[in-house]
Amino acid sequence: MLTVPPKYTTLTQIRTDLTAGKTTLVALTEYYLQRISETEELNIYLEVYAEEALAKAADLDKKFKENPASVGKMYGAVISIKDVLCYANHKVTGGSKILEGFESLFSATAIERCLAEDALLIGRVNCDEFGMGSATENPHYGVTRNAADTNRVPGGSSGGSAAAVQADTCLVSLGSDTGGSVRQPAAFCGVYGLKPTYGRISRYGLLAYASSFDQIGILAHSPQDAALFLEIMAGQDEYDATSSSKAVPAYSQTPPFSGKAKIAYFDTAVNHASIDPAVRNATLQTIEKYRAAGHVVVSVDFAYLDYIIPAYYVLTTAEASSNLSRYDGVRYGRRSPEAQTVDEMYRLSRTEGFGKEVKRRIMLGTFVLSAGYYDAYYTKAQKVRRLIQQRTFEILEEYDFILMPVAPSPAWKIGEKNTDPVAAYLADIFTVQANMTGIPAMAFPVGETEEGLPIGLQLMGRKFGEAELLSFVSNGDF
Amino acid sequence: MAKQKYETVIGLETHIQLGTASKAFCGDDARFGGEPNTHISTVSLGHPGTLPVLNRKQIDYALRLSVALGAEVNLTNYFDRKNYFYTDLPKGYQITQDRCPISVGGFVPILLSDGTVKKVRLHHIHMEEDAGKSVHDVFEMHSGVDLNRAGVPLVEVVSEPDLRSAEEVDLFMNALRRLVRWLEISDGNMEQGSMRCDCNVSIRPQGSEELFARCEVKNMNSMRFARRAIEFETQRQIDIVESGGRVRQQTLQFDKNTGSTSPLRDKEDAHDYRYFPDPDLPPVVISAEELARVKAEMPALPWELYERFTTKFGLSAYDATILTEEKTIAFLFLDLTEKHQDYKACANLIINQVRPHLAENETNAVPDFPVQRWAELLDLVKENKVSNSVAKQKLFPAIWEKSDTPVAKLAEKMNLLQDSDADFLADLAEEILAKYPDKVAAYRKGKKGLLGFFMGELMKASKGKANPQEGNAVLREKLGG
Repeated sequence: MLTVPPKYTTLTQIRTDLTAGKTTLVALTEYYLQRISETEELNIYLEVYAEEALAKAADLDKKFKENPASVGKMYGAVISIKDVLCYANHKVTGGSKILEGFESLFSATAIERCLAEDALLIGRVNCDEFGMGSATENPHYGVTRNAADTNRVPGGSSGGSAAAVQADTCLVSLGSDTGGSVRQPAAFCGVYGLKPTYGRISRYGLLAYASSFDQIGILAHSPQDAALFLEIMAGQDEYDATSSSKAVPAYSQTPPFSGKAKIAYFDTAVNHASIDPAVRNATLQTIEKYRAAGHVVVSVDFAYLDYIIPAYYVLTTAEASSNLSRYDGVRYGRRSPEAQTVDEMYRLSRTEGFGKEVKRRIMLGTFVLSAGYYDAYYTKAQKVRRLIQQRTFEILEEYDFILMPVAPSPAWKIGEKNTDPVAAYLADIFTVQANMTGIPAMAFPVGETEEGLPIGLQLMGRKFGEAELLSFVSNGDF
Repeated sequence: MAKQKYETVIGLETHIQLGTASKAFCGDDARFGGEPNTHISTVSLGHPGTLPVLNRKQIDYALRLSVALGAEVNLTNYFDRKNYFYTDLPKGYQITQDRCPISVGGFVPILLSDGTVKKVRLHHIHMEEDAGKSVHDVFEMHSGVDLNRAGVPLVEVVSEPDLRSAEEVDLFMNALRRLVRWLEISDGNMEQGSMRCDCNVSIRPQGSEELFARCEVKNMNSMRFARRAIEFETQRQIDIVESGGRVRQQTLQFDKNTGSTSPLRDKEDAHDYRYFPDPDLPPVVISAEELARVKAEMPALPWELYERFTTKFGLSAYDATILTEEKTIAFLFLDLTEKHQDYKACANLIINQVRPHLAENETNAVPDFPVQRWAELLDLVKENKVSNSVAKQKLFPAIWEKSDTPVAKLAEKMNLLQDSDADFLADLAEEILAKYPDKVAAYRKGKKGLLGFFMGELMKASKGKANPQEGNAVLREKLGG
């Protein structure tokens, strides 16, 4: 079976069973390993840490048995990680051939913090190359499939993570979100996806795509687990100068949302030309549901919707073109065996190592930064970004949240958007606002299409307002 | 002949390695040397997932330099990325400051040979990280890359095209090197590459205000080479113009073996570095307090002291120059003048004795005894209690050993106090003259040069304690009789 009802939807349930002696971490790990092999055709995992996970599970079980108080907050959490997160002495390739065989010498701060709380890493999952894409149709490691319909994509770029949770091969998966890469696959796969505020979780150990947009995110069966994981991973890090020094609230202890929220939405988004009727209906129904529960839901003006995508692609490709320059074949990663000269080493290694989409974005970014075009593209896009920020913050001064669809449509068919990159870019229209402005956003499932494809919506909150966002989404089932 | 028709116009970009303990954006050892690739980490290797984190010390150092040079500090400045591929550039970009550097303006005063001061204006000062080094002569089939230097903090001091000759370039570089040592922000060591410069050279007809196409000679790591490169380049450009050609804007390299420059690349294929703000580094914010502190802690600067020494203290240009070469020396001298007001005598002591002593002992450390002792020594000489030579040869070294003892007491203990008792001298003189009757006769016949001989004998007999003037007078009197 590719889809099964999840064995557990929260770590709390797992801990209850562990404490009651109804299960062990070894048993749980075996279950997830079993699920991984049952769902192999989905092509989720690039690497399964089977042996070491079982060994570590046994160690943790022993530690727990000896003294239940000695284990960390994440004992019992079996997680997978997107192939853009560094895990010491394990492979990380960014879904790219240019890092084929590369092992990281250190762990990402986020991973380090999870491990310190006794989380168990079960494997490394597929994604779009360097996070550039929204379908996880990886040119080097193959397509990951949506468990709800194997002819369809799981979304991307954290498609492996979303499918891993959807197919119940792990409790939680860590992904990254530069323009929707956690939320959109979460929506396509019917799971929860949290992109925290920019700077909330250290980016140290996250392979950079666009540094001023990137943020590690969480894909889970429940907002409760997202809250706990955020609590553990968030907070200042001396290795990331852009990580925030703001105190980390106990997200997992946040009381349920009480009172009435003021929620904004954009008519222009709900009625956007690109929107699928099923997504539109789900949005309208949710608005009605919120209103029925006594919340104030109002359509507000947002004039920049159609400027978001062009500005986003100018800025992210600019940053990417520079961030990916380090993959040159000199110190690590792929060096073309054909190269005879220094120039050939660069050209061949990068030509052979990068996929088409990555090359396209490097070229785009190189172009928008080049002399004579910089002001027309990069500077202009920065101005647009500031305008979008201003207007978004203005809205969030008056409203608690902004409600949006995650994607204009449910999961599309494999290969469907391969020929038209611009069409694929435009599908990011609803997700990039949160990355352009740095605000937190959370995708949550609201239902299915007639064909059984998951539909997700998202709520965006104020900067560092994850607690409110999580507690509101937690009582989402009004 | 053609040379007089033209004026050389030179602007300098001087890179100065800052002497921080660790690198600009990570904790790696920033010191010079070490086995290849030992001062490195995942950050300086540009491993996937690593991020730069600012070493705040370099801001302090760059601030000191900016303030000393009278530059206007940008209280908010930021880092940019300069993108290009090179094997010794691990990230594929260099972190530098392009659009908003730490400071703009200011000037380096240089003292020209005619005694006038020229203020060489600065365009700006910016911070950046150094690249690694490629080595091409170690492996037969490959080049090697040593990344120990990659990420070491630099400041780049960019001058306006105010320099007019290789001599002025020399003076400028010397002034800058002296200053960075003075401020204790760099060792200014050109041999080890702590200071390097790119020279932008152009020529124009004397009296013209127009700027001609310039050529940039890259990476000069010795003053001598810089000088030769500029002289060669000036002549090369004159030859082109004189033969009816036009100088093309180029980047050149200097070959120290042939003493000539050759093109590295033309303007047409100049790099497009695609600068943009580094998103990994928040803007550098300098508080008003921080700036005020740097200003308050700024020591008196060499050119300020030079001015004071030559005018207020009446010292020669030569003495003032030597005294302001190094901060330690300058401040020992200043301290001494607080306690002894014969400035020339103070200068002589510092220049002729203290400086060589420190140099011999390979230390610039301020001696751990009070300068008071040197003042006492000068007092004794002034009061004729010890002779100059005794002061220099015996007492000065002794002070270093027994700094606890006041110098007068030390001189007494060592039996060095000068004897000017006339009877004692007269007795000694008579003894000596009696010893050399032939020479006395010769003197009296006109061989006056023998006075020196008698004087020497007198000093010997008095064990150096005879006051030379008085001894001289006594001898003349006896011989003249």
